[in-house]
Amino acid sequence: MPDLPQTGDEPPPEQSLFADYRYDPRFYDEMFEAKAAPREHCRDLWNVLDGMAPEEIAAMQERAERSFLQEGITFAVYGEEGAQERIIPIDVLPRIVDAATWDFIERGLRQRIKALNLFLADIYGRGRILSDGVIPVEMILGCPQYRIEMRGVSVPRGIYVALCGTDLVRTNDGFMVLEDNLRVPSGVSYMLANRGAMRAALNKLFRQYRVRAIEHYGNLLRQTLSELAPRAIADPCIVLLTPGVHNSAYYEHMFLAREMGVELVQGRDLLVHDGFVYMRTISGLRKVDVIYRRVDDDFLDPLAFRPDSQLGVPGLFYAYRLGNVVIANAPGTGVADDKSVYAFVPDIIRYYLSEEPLLANVDTHLCRNPDGLEYTLDNLENLVVKMVGESGGYGMLVGPASTPAERDAYAKEMRKDPANFISQPVLDLSCAPCLTEKGASPRHVDLRPFVLTGRETRLVPGAFCRVALVEGSLVVNSSQGGGGKDLWVLPE
Amino acid sequence: MLSRNAQGLYWISRYLERAGHGCRLVQIQYRALQDRTVQELDRTWLRLYRSLGREPLGGRLGSNRDDDDFMFADAYTLTDDLAFEPNNADSIRNCIASARENARQVRNVIGNEMWTSLNLLYLDMRDLAVQDIWADRAGGFFVNTQDSIRGFFGIADNSMYRDNGWHFLQLGRFVERAQHMTALLDAQLEVFPTDRRHAERDWRSLLQIAFARVAYSRMKSLDFQPGAVIDFLVSDRLLSHSIRYSLEHISDSLDVVSERRPLAVGARRRAGRVAASLDYDWPNRDPGDDAATRATLGSIRDACRRLNEDIEASYFNYDIEDTPR
Repeated sequence: MPDLPQTGDEPPPEQSLFADYRYDPRFYDEMFEAKAAPREHCRDLWNVLDGMAPEEIAAMQERAERSFLQEGITFAVYGEEGAQERIIPIDVLPRIVDAATWDFIERGLRQRIKALNLFLADIYGRGRILSDGVIPVEMILGCPQYRIEMRGVSVPRGIYVALCGTDLVRTNDGFMVLEDNLRVPSGVSYMLANRGAMRAALNKLFRQYRVRAIEHYGNLLRQTLSELAPRAIADPCIVLLTPGVHNSAYYEHMFLAREMGVELVQGRDLLVHDGFVYMRTISGLRKVDVIYRRVDDDFLDPLAFRPDSQLGVPGLFYAYRLGNVVIANAPGTGVADDKSVYAFVPDIIRYYLSEEPLLANVDTHLCRNPDGLEYTLDNLENLVVKMVGESGGYGMLVGPASTPAERDAYAKEMRKDPANFISQPVLDLSCAPCLTEKGASPRHVDLRPFVLTGRETRLVPGAFCRVALVEGSLVVNSSQGGGGKDLWVLPE
Repeated sequence: MLSRNAQGLYWISRYLERAGHGCRLVQIQYRALQDRTVQELDRTWLRLYRSLGREPLGGRLGSNRDDDDFMFADAYTLTDDLAFEPNNADSIRNCIASARENARQVRNVIGNEMWTSLNLLYLDMRDLAVQDIWADRAGGFFVNTQDSIRGFFGIADNSMYRDNGWHFLQLGRFVERAQHMTALLDAQLEVFPTDRRHAERDWRSLLQIAFARVAYSRMKSLDFQPGAVIDFLVSDRLLSHSIRYSLEHISDSLDVVSERRPLAVGARRRAGRVAASLDYDWPNRDPGDDAATRATLGSIRDACRRLNEDIEASYFNYDIEDTPR
């Protein structure tokens, strides 16, 4: 917890939180529409926060962080010194989204996930979109995340992606999708933990705003998974498969298992016998119907995917193909959140739904195309370059923040395997006030709402709002030192 | 209940019971530090180390029995060895860390309050060293750690649903406790044989370790006769640290967890057999025959060890072939 600034020997004058707030019109500000002019729906929040003593706010911040550490709401960060257990820093100034904005986001997400599920069913089925030439065949079949093993597998209700966590950013031009996370998205527990902390800290204001509830997420998740059960079973046995305590998101796995009231299992708790999956209980083996897996495709089943996997269950994919167990998300969904396929999502929406996409895509240059590569290399210092198969902010070059030597090294890598890279313009990510040593300061933010799809598509009105804690930084990933804040969605 | 979860709960309480017992031993030893001679202290340290089945670093136990100039190790070193020594798998800190690691594995089946109390206990001692606690001669660290462990079990008592998970927590606790008590009594008889004349306080402190001093005075006598003390700690049914009491709780919990697992009766039978031998054979023993008493304690201890193996084999790591689905 940062100490508060000491101004001198005499007691500092009562400094309000927003006194030194530097409003910057280049970026959409989530709280202010002009200098010292809060947006209408933020006015009450502004009044309350501005009236609080700095010590009071600092104490609130400290309480929240301490409670995270005590409860073990931690995240493992992989670095040079091995994995470290630390909390995702919480910023106590909530971000508010009004009802109309949320409604738009929600409709956009529903549209997007519907199209993406149809796309996955298509490319693992007849492949119409490929034969119609909308997307290059070699891009899909050549994608490492395309699982040939999934061809012709019958997936319950055609739902490949039962859970996704889409990253949205806002610029002065509106909302854009930065990334669809369709494999094993994490962050939902931090959304709920941030909410718990903030509801306690700003209880009165919270009630006054009638912030919409998100606490029923666990219920919706369980309902969604039940609807995917292989046969019409009244009370299917659902488990959450985790790689174990050393996984960076273990806290979340534990949290969700508890919220849903299901067993948290590891690969060694499960076994496949006669084409069915069982878990080892103290009263013998029990059949498992639905597996919410938080293990990557590669490690699910050493017989089907990576043979050296210690985390998976031998024979699991066989049981899955037989339709005796459901795995959510289905293996092979990673092909649809590949960063080159991303560029085609607007076309995918038009192709399957005959609708215009509601949420915009970020302008993306594919380096697999000679034009795209040339453009990217020429403008490296103004672009963000990403590797198509990576996530979590790993393997990324942020042009304006890079040194010439870094750019040279990166360019060399790009020329070796252009198809592995895409580039995007540096986005003017919106800012929200965050608590710093100098009172409130603008920091860049994004948001990750979580969409569930079973018999119908559901989402709670909330998101994990990520914050780039370093001034001017655009990288919000938790694995890169980002923090989180609570997002308040208002009722109509 | 998932086998791995049951196993996790079982080991949480085994490790915590072990840590609590270690703290209690040191706490009682510290009381002695205040007014005993070096030779006397040496013998109580010996009892402590023998009961833990451990040789301290830096000196062979008992080597100085007839040598006034040599003290086999000083309390500072021994305290460090028992509390923080990284290579001592049963050091207080290592036990707490292991309990927490098991709790991390099963966090979805224990309440937040249970987890938080254990996590705080761990975080508080994670970075401690012996010099940090040494200033407090009264052994505040050991007292506080015991309090925290009792706090954990108290939260469990008050908040846990009484299903199988609860019973595995009980099992771990009492299997561990029964083993400690047999080992402690055996060490007592080794260091303080009943045929030699010893200060009464060596037997009083034994009762204190088992939280039994007041109960003994009230129920038995004010005369701390070795035979009577041993008998009280072995066979009393109402004393929470007696071996008989632990066996009763083990049997009760095994009855519950084996209800839906008829094949897993081995452990239950074993616990029942030992309890019966305490009820019917133990009273006939010759209290003056230390060798026979120690042999009996040895067989109880052996049975407890096997009990642990039975539990592991019946509930956690069973063969898949002979299991019902």
